[in-house]
Amino acid sequence: MKRLAALALLVAGVAARAETVAIVHARAWTMTAPQPVEDATIVMAGGHVVAVTPQGSPPPGARVIDAGGHVVTPGLVDAATQIGLVEVPTARDTDDRAARTGPLGPAFDTSYALNDNSVLIAVARADGVTRAMSFPEAAATAPFTGMGAVIRLRTSGSILERPRAAMFAAIGDGSQSQAGGSRAAQWTLLRNALAEARRFAAAPRGAGPRDQLLDRPDIEALQPVIAGTMPLAIRADRASDIREAIRLAGDLHIRVVLLGGAEAWSLAADLARVRIPVILDPQDDLPQTFDWLGARLENAALLAKAGVAIAFSVSGNTIYLSHDAGIAMREGAGLAVANGLPYAAALRAITATPAEIWGIAHAGTLAPGADADLVIWDGDPLEPASAASHVFVGGVEASLATRQIELRDRYAPQRANDPLPPGYR
Amino acid sequence: MIRRSLRRAALPLLALLLPLAAAQAQDDDHRGPPGHGGGDRHHHGDDHDGRRDDRRQDQHDATPPWTRDLFPSTYAPLPRADTLIVHATILDGEEHRIDDGELLLRDGKVAGIGHGLPREGARVIDAAGRWVTPGVIDVHSHDGTYVVPLTTIDDKSSDVSELSDPNAAGTWIESAINPQDPGLYRALASGVTTLQVLPGSDPIFGGRSVVLHPIPATTVQAMKVPGAPQGMKMACGENPKGNDAERGKGPTSREGEIAFIRDAFAKADRYRHEWGDYLDGGDHHHPPDDPTMDTLAAVLEGRIAVHMHCYRADEMAVMMDLAKDIGFRIAAFHHAVEGYKIAPMLAANHICAVVWSDWWGYKMEAADGIRENAAFLDAAGTCTMMHSDSPFLGQWLPIEAGKAAASGRRAGLSLPPEHVVAWLTRNPAQALGLADRMGTLAVGKDADVVIWSGDPFSVFTKADTVFVDGAVAYDRHDPRYQPRSDFEVGRLPAARP
Repeated sequence: MKRLAALALLVAGVAARAETVAIVHARAWTMTAPQPVEDATIVMAGGHVVAVTPQGSPPPGARVIDAGGHVVTPGLVDAATQIGLVEVPTARDTDDRAARTGPLGPAFDTSYALNDNSVLIAVARADGVTRAMSFPEAAATAPFTGMGAVIRLRTSGSILERPRAAMFAAIGDGSQSQAGGSRAAQWTLLRNALAEARRFAAAPRGAGPRDQLLDRPDIEALQPVIAGTMPLAIRADRASDIREAIRLAGDLHIRVVLLGGAEAWSLAADLARVRIPVILDPQDDLPQTFDWLGARLENAALLAKAGVAIAFSVSGNTIYLSHDAGIAMREGAGLAVANGLPYAAALRAITATPAEIWGIAHAGTLAPGADADLVIWDGDPLEPASAASHVFVGGVEASLATRQIELRDRYAPQRANDPLPPGYR
Repeated sequence: MIRRSLRRAALPLLALLLPLAAAQAQDDDHRGPPGHGGGDRHHHGDDHDGRRDDRRQDQHDATPPWTRDLFPSTYAPLPRADTLIVHATILDGEEHRIDDGELLLRDGKVAGIGHGLPREGARVIDAAGRWVTPGVIDVHSHDGTYVVPLTTIDDKSSDVSELSDPNAAGTWIESAINPQDPGLYRALASGVTTLQVLPGSDPIFGGRSVVLHPIPATTVQAMKVPGAPQGMKMACGENPKGNDAERGKGPTSREGEIAFIRDAFAKADRYRHEWGDYLDGGDHHHPPDDPTMDTLAAVLEGRIAVHMHCYRADEMAVMMDLAKDIGFRIAAFHHAVEGYKIAPMLAANHICAVVWSDWWGYKMEAADGIRENAAFLDAAGTCTMMHSDSPFLGQWLPIEAGKAAASGRRAGLSLPPEHVVAWLTRNPAQALGLADRMGTLAVGKDADVVIWSGDPFSVFTKADTVFVDGAVAYDRHDPRYQPRSDFEVGRLPAARP
């Protein structure tokens, strides 16, 4: 009976349509202005934001939610996560993040592996994440790790929004062994791959010449990169590698995104000049490896001050990256504020800026016409102790129930004296 | 990285409880707390009680080898001045919140708390708008052995655990501590005044722990909290069996781990009796001195309590029964991701729970982690605390507590700051067997104190001033009190502008 009810709920969820909703008395961060709109009325209809106006009147027939002065933000956009690609990292059969052996390099396309039923999705969504870049961990052709996909944490159906949204490569001490043991080899291989892709673009052939290192699937996968339509996200942390990434972008006229960037602050002006955005982890402050000796909590603040576009991806020993993505992004953003980043800039780094970096239109803001992905918070969203009270994706209110919440309710202290064991609840 | 971090995540611990005989023997002015007697020892009785052995030793001019402290503390407090903190919001760790309060630190001890305290001879610090708590105690750290920066050398041969055998009980983690680990310096700057370094969780018996003040020093002895009991780390579940299966040595199943533990303690019991007979004068044959058996004998005698890494509720229940049967005391289950499923059982057995706020899902035994774990454990009366397990988290333990408490409040529990602070201070002191000396701001306690820039549970707050035994060990506003490790000296000029 209980299962039947759950099924009915599921069907209802699938059928849910984007009704007209008005959120009143909100402190609305639209991300289109430097300050929030106070006592705002936010109107959503047809899955889009219609308007955000101070003390506006809800349209007739709209469902009205009173935010009671609480903060409303766009749905969070996780600049780099692996949600949908991994369930239990140590159980390899539940882990599709990497293709460490086999022929695939740039052609490793994670979009085929996305698991719409991952329990991690509901957890992230209940913490306010509505969109993300889900990126690959490793591929067999160094220094590439493959292609990432933009996902939307919808309440039903496929989470895949845009496959092959970015190419990823990893440079430095965590991955150099794959390239033969030196980062010099990593850069040489990366430059060679892009050169081979460019030659192929000029004269596509049935088969590559015998001195070519890449095979046809990898060469083809790189075509959008050299055409400038797909960003190349380079994972690099040491200053010398960041300088090299800047040089590569200039030499080849391709779009480069820096991922990691522990020492990026030391090249902030250069990164700003060439408009390379940085996706960083605001919790990276330890000299965790020799590539991170300059890691510091002020990284975000110094980059933003220099005019670099920044977005956040919080690893937390890799546990936060996918399993606690939403809460960790907010904690990271809060720490960045505690270390000098203006509040609005921190909020942008988990909403509008990652959407811009990955070219996700209509996401990350509450501008008129934007997708109605938004969150009402029960406190300051940059305090990780706060939580979402309502989450909308495409104008549809998402359930905040997660597997964790169901376990919580089974074992709540208030039920300690129930006659039947928790298994009956 | 992930493998490394997962291993760390899996380490649980040993609880330390009992006063080390070593402390009694070696430390003349800073004695450990009175002993609890080693838990349920009904199978062993008192005829091999350590103190009685000590008396018998006179006959033979010998002591049981497990009572020695091989590396005695040389800790001395940093230079200090009597200090009066005024206008602070004080959380004393004993359930009180004192607004606009005062705290007097004299001769390294808390000398007064409340209002209208005497100012004579004390440096006065105006803490208006700021909060004061006891120093944070991290019962589960790997600082000094999980030394950053990590390199490929650590991949091959890390000092976190000795992996040559599933029984590494003979190891003392203090013999590996590198005081120049930048993680220790970051812990101090984050308000941590005491931490327990535990061996890792890949061995079933990880070895002896050590309790340190994370103050700048060139030797581990100079960081050792005088008289602090050692603990012994043990581990359940996936980590040891996975490691053993990989190395082809040791138990490859949970049931094998339990049998292994029983076997090891049975041997240790025989070893202890051999020594007892020898010291009694009944047997003139000098027994062998076996470091592994020494540690286990000390555990059986109640001199050392166990800090047990366990995730699943069923495993913790098995370990509790096993501990009763064998006669060893578990001070705490570390990680205890499913602790909330058996919270009243932990409380009834007087075993502490050492948890994160929100880590879950990174391995099968962590699949059922919930954010209300700490709050539910606390509600059942379990001595509950946060822990770091990693140098990055060791910098943000109050934020961890804040997250965990907020989840509990959303689940309907009352968790005011003056209660939650105990998850960082009083409860870990209890798990370490140091509750009579630290963890609260009661008069007479060690003056381990933090002045926070604001509400300590907020992400926007920082440790402003950190006192260890009444001495300023770190001050965010005074460059003279911002120590750096030798590793960080002279590197990357561009990186430290």
